[in-house]
Amino acid sequence: MGKIVAVHSYKGGTGKTLLSINLAATLAKHGKKVCLFDLDFRAPSLATLLKIDKADYWLNDYLNGVCEINKVLIDMSNRINDSGSLCVGLANPSTEAIRDMSAKDRKWEMRALGRLLALRASLLNEKHYDYLVFDTSPGLQYSSINAIVSADLVLVATTFDRSDVDGTKRMLRELYDLFEKKTEIVLNKVLDGSLKSDKDEAKNRLKDVYQVPLLGIVPCFCDVLKAEGGLIFAQDKPGHPFTKIIEEMTGKIENLG
Amino acid sequence: MAKEEVAGKKSVQVLEKIREHLEKLNEKIEIMIELQKHDRKDVQPTFTDAPLDVMTLLSMPDHLRKTAMTVCRLGRATADEVAEQTKRARAVESAYLNQLVIMGHLKKERNGRKAYFFVDRENQER
Repeated sequence: MGKIVAVHSYKGGTGKTLLSINLAATLAKHGKKVCLFDLDFRAPSLATLLKIDKADYWLNDYLNGVCEINKVLIDMSNRINDSGSLCVGLANPSTEAIRDMSAKDRKWEMRALGRLLALRASLLNEKHYDYLVFDTSPGLQYSSINAIVSADLVLVATTFDRSDVDGTKRMLRELYDLFEKKTEIVLNKVLDGSLKSDKDEAKNRLKDVYQVPLLGIVPCFCDVLKAEGGLIFAQDKPGHPFTKIIEEMTGKIENLG
Repeated sequence: MAKEEVAGKKSVQVLEKIREHLEKLNEKIEIMIELQKHDRKDVQPTFTDAPLDVMTLLSMPDHLRKTAMTVCRLGRATADEVAEQTKRARAVESAYLNQLVIMGHLKKERNGRKAYFFVDRENQER
């Protein structure tokens, strides 16, 4: 039985999309059937990062009840040189679509939750996908909470920024705990100096602060910034230390059961 | 003989009706017991459609959220099926499910002896 993994964070710019793309690509490289979804309807980014200009149908259309999910999926398996398969479902990046999605009411959001929950039957059970990866929008808003409620596992990307630490702590207690979600923390953008001083101490401190398991620590890599989002490191830079860390985290996710 | 058969069938039908009504009464009593037990002021009967969106789920008391989340996940479920997931007693889940129906968050449908609970997402007024 496949799994839904949502990647979320309290603040923006914590590396959710980078993590989502590379996690999905690594799972596909491991031979898994994977689908990556852009659920950040207020600031869509996957279409740009994956260099897809046009789509016949967007994820917005699926949630609006205009089409079924198979119309939305775009096969990206040619970007992965291994046996697995990778599809994406994109959020419409046009200003009109962003405005439309920002103006939805509670009843629409309730139906959207139903359609997200239905992906378990249509993609995991019927189409035998191994993983659906949801890249969400930051903070506590409808689209991201819908994604969290639908997921089996939530990865929370966080940094050492104080406001992020505080907000993430609150979010873990007041959101994830209430929904009884299996949660793992990914500490991103850690400066080399803080890692060298004492990695184990940093890990223990994180566990104390957040009270949830730590999936991994990702240092701040200049190469990642220099790539300007144009590379899928897991595919394009197989020997890079960033790719190795993503590999490790993916392995842990696969073993979570 | 034929007359006796017809009379027999009628008796069975009447008994079936009585059993159905008793089950409905039983559910209502379960709800009343539950409401009294907790003196729940947060469970206000609405008798109208109230969307079961994530913010509503977040603001619910813990015991009802667990039940509502389980129905969301299962799509359509009996009290037995919900109880199996939540590891709580069937009677407890039956009371919580009926509370959620009264609050307008769930719909209930009977199919023979079984009562199914579900979120009526598509038919809510747009």
